Amino acid sequence: MTAARRGLGFGFWLSISWLIVISLAAIFAPWLPLKDPGENYIVAGARPPYGPSSTHWLGTDQDARDVFARTIFGARTSLVIGFGAISFGIILGGTLGVLSGYFRGWTDRIASIVMLILLSFPGLILAILITALLDRGLATIAITLGILGVAPVGRLARASTLVFAERDFVTAARAIGSSNRRIIVRELLPNVVIPMAALSLLGMAIAIVAEGGLAFLGLSVDEGVTWGKLILLGAGTRDLERAPWISFGPISMLFLTVLALNYAGDRLRDYFDVKDITL
Amino acid sequence: MSQTQASLRGGPEPLVSVRGLRTLFATERGLVRAVDGVDLNIHKGRSLGIVGESGCGKTVLSRSIMGLLPSTAHREGSVRYEGHELVGKSVGSMRRFWGQEMSMVFQNPMVSLNPVMRIGEQIAEPLRIHLGMSRSDARDTALQLLEEVRIPEPKRRLRQYAHELSGGMRQRVVIAIALSCGPAILFADEPTTALDVTVQSQILDLIAERRQDRNMAVVLVTHDLGVVAGHTNEIAVMYAGKIVERAPTNELFANVKMPYTRSLLRSIPRLDDDPHTRLHAISGRPPDLIDPPSGCRFAPRCAYARERCHVEAPPLQPTENPDHVYACWYPVGSAEFFEREEELVATGVHVRGRQ
Amino acid sequence: MLSYVAQRLTLAVCLLLAVSALTFSGMNLLGDPLVNILGPIAADTKNPNSIALIEAAEAEYHLDKSLPERYVRWLGDLVRGDLGVQFSSTGEPPVSNIIKERAPRTAVLLVMAQSLAVLISIPWALLAASRARRPADRISTVTSFLLIALPNFALAVILKYLLAIKLGWFPITYTANDPFLSRIYQTFLPALTIALPAAAVYQRLLRTDLITTLQEDFILMARAKGVSKWKVLLRHALRPSFFSFITVFGINTGALIGGSLVVETIFRIPGLGTTIVEAIIRDDFPVVLAVVMIATSVFVLVNVLVDILYSFLDPRVKR
Repeated sequence: MTAARRGLGFGFWLSISWLIVISLAAIFAPWLPLKDPGENYIVAGARPPYGPSSTHWLGTDQDARDVFARTIFGARTSLVIGFGAISFGIILGGTLGVLSGYFRGWTDRIASIVMLILLSFPGLILAILITALLDRGLATIAITLGILGVAPVGRLARASTLVFAERDFVTAARAIGSSNRRIIVRELLPNVVIPMAALSLLGMAIAIVAEGGLAFLGLSVDEGVTWGKLILLGAGTRDLERAPWISFGPISMLFLTVLALNYAGDRLRDYFDVKDITL
Repeated sequence: MSQTQASLRGGPEPLVSVRGLRTLFATERGLVRAVDGVDLNIHKGRSLGIVGESGCGKTVLSRSIMGLLPSTAHREGSVRYEGHELVGKSVGSMRRFWGQEMSMVFQNPMVSLNPVMRIGEQIAEPLRIHLGMSRSDARDTALQLLEEVRIPEPKRRLRQYAHELSGGMRQRVVIAIALSCGPAILFADEPTTALDVTVQSQILDLIAERRQDRNMAVVLVTHDLGVVAGHTNEIAVMYAGKIVERAPTNELFANVKMPYTRSLLRSIPRLDDDPHTRLHAISGRPPDLIDPPSGCRFAPRCAYARERCHVEAPPLQPTENPDHVYACWYPVGSAEFFEREEELVATGVHVRGRQ
Repeated sequence: MLSYVAQRLTLAVCLLLAVSALTFSGMNLLGDPLVNILGPIAADTKNPNSIALIEAAEAEYHLDKSLPERYVRWLGDLVRGDLGVQFSSTGEPPVSNIIKERAPRTAVLLVMAQSLAVLISIPWALLAASRARRPADRISTVTSFLLIALPNFALAVILKYLLAIKLGWFPITYTANDPFLSRIYQTFLPALTIALPAAAVYQRLLRTDLITTLQEDFILMARAKGVSKWKVLLRHALRPSFFSFITVFGINTGALIGGSLVVETIFRIPGLGTTIVEAIIRDDFPVVLAVVMIATSVFVLVNVLVDILYSFLDPRVKR
């Protein structure tokens, strides 16, 4: 209530601004005046890694590659995985949840069992299992992490649908003979979308973090750089000791992004007074 | 002010004397003046009723006397208990008084007992803290206390949880806890509001009995004049943070002065009413305690208010009986009061009859 | 009460059966066990030598049987504590032995992490709730928010850098042959890595519930009895505030199991995390299956225990 009166607040818009900046940077990375992420900037007479300097803002890694440029390029893969994962989760989980909340009965029972089984796996274990069975392409990883979101999204969608399906405007739509399809698309979806938006921000943060976890297990995408893989590159004891910037550069970028996603998601949830979000 | 002082006279030294007590709460909207300049005496072994609508500040007044306020509250004025000044004392040093010298019975026994602690433990707690009793002594005393408040099968109750008891029994437990360390004064804040009608008088009788046995002072806070009628020696009527009329119980019922008190009296249902008689609810709502009306605070809702009432706040003044004080420019019985009453009856707003 | 426990346990067993059937059939349908065991030889069906090897492997792993039959066989072995034979040319040592050696390390890590998380979060929540909405509480809210946003592998790198490399308070490596106590010491930093964000989650929840409880009349009643501030918090407010804490403790165990696998590989603890990673790289399905089953069972059982504990803690719940 009070949150609604006060608006979403400065912190929310700051978070959104950061997310926009990092997304734009990721999208336009090849056209930005960045160092080449693949290039080895060896300086004659000195052995890499080189520390942060005016040429290499966040320093270079063991192969003299620019950490800042690689972090921005890493954002491409990490954000695509995060976005792809939560889109998959929302589409599948949302459909499952809305249908089971609207039709109840057998649809609901079957959907509940599917979700219950999905929830019995400890999160990362399910991801490990799927990546172990399938290839480790970008789409597979994104879908895998998306599956983790199906049950939480589905539960929320089901709960919101149950609430709204009882409301007058739905009853009214039924009374004038609207088809189920029309009611779901026109009347229910718009109301279920708002809590979903909050959830999708939180879920995207979780997917990005989960990718990092998989990277540390050596199970992330085969091709390209991600934040997880970049952090892993500098996480060895010797590298951490002599060149902490290799890890700390991407860590700060990852941290800020997750922080912004969490904060914006939390604010959105409070703003619309959504109670059922648990991940 | 001198009149007020005079009316607070009384033979022996009072147990508690309250002078100019103000309690302010800092809120987002502004300063709430929940108690706004109250003078009271509470005597040993006597019973005082504090009466008023909800939101008039009566609960805050009783908690202010005891010092049991949240940290957002601020107290001004003076509360003396047996010569100790309590206003300004830290919470830490007040704890010596709480439970031992002064204790409180709360409105709703459904929520004033800890749901996950056995009854016995809850009664034993103050005994162990204040009287330093051993576990087994505290247990024996708890048993005696349960017998004293007449709970059947007291031994079994010690091991039970609050949700296993009825509302009336829970309130008896709360009273047992309040009595445990032999307090000199017991505050009972709407002790029967949450209970069944049949249980209400039993609880009030129990409190009255204990008061006589232990020569303990009782402050009975209620919105219901009917409740205090048979169970108090004196009544103070509160409105918008102030005391507007105070008198010995019989005197008040016989000789009401404040129109507000009168409307409270008229809102009590009576056995000799014809069936379906409409009760007089007081129209309007109690004023905002952040920005109270100037003049008499009841004036905006008072059918007898005149211009003066809206401008100038009436002081507390004594009647022929110096123990009966009231704050009103045109009290019940005055010429102006009757004049207005005639007009109201003539216009059909009022029906003459019961008072 | 008893029927409630039985009901919860039945559901848990059903869930585990479903999980195992899904995992088992997924692995067998999506991968080719024969290739995983024998490598390129499996495709060489002309050479009599490899035909012999293939037949031997099929017999050893019952690959000539149908999928449901193999599942039932595997399940039967599992119940008897036999996790099967690993996919390798020798099949030695048996999976059960690998698990027996490595699972305790992960268990120690997890138990330590959860204990630390509880030990940190309770005083933290009490402190925050008793100073609700004052500066100390606000700082604590921001701190927990930051900690929750910090992924465990990032925290691992930061803690390793600060506490192990810069300050030298903790050893960097885990030595499996060291005496038990020094291994506990070596596990402390990884446990702390898992515990800190978990503590932040628990703290946030417990603080909210404590603040709600502190508004209750029975708290005012306790104050009116003359009970001191800390006794009010500890004796009266804490226990009724514990319920959602316990629920989340259970649910969070799942996240921590996943997290511990990651943290193990960072701190080089040869536990189940390293085991499953190695097994995946080698396509050693029996080992992967075993680790998945252990992790899932622990998770499901912890949640059942939490449910049961819940009904013990709250005398109002009579089941």
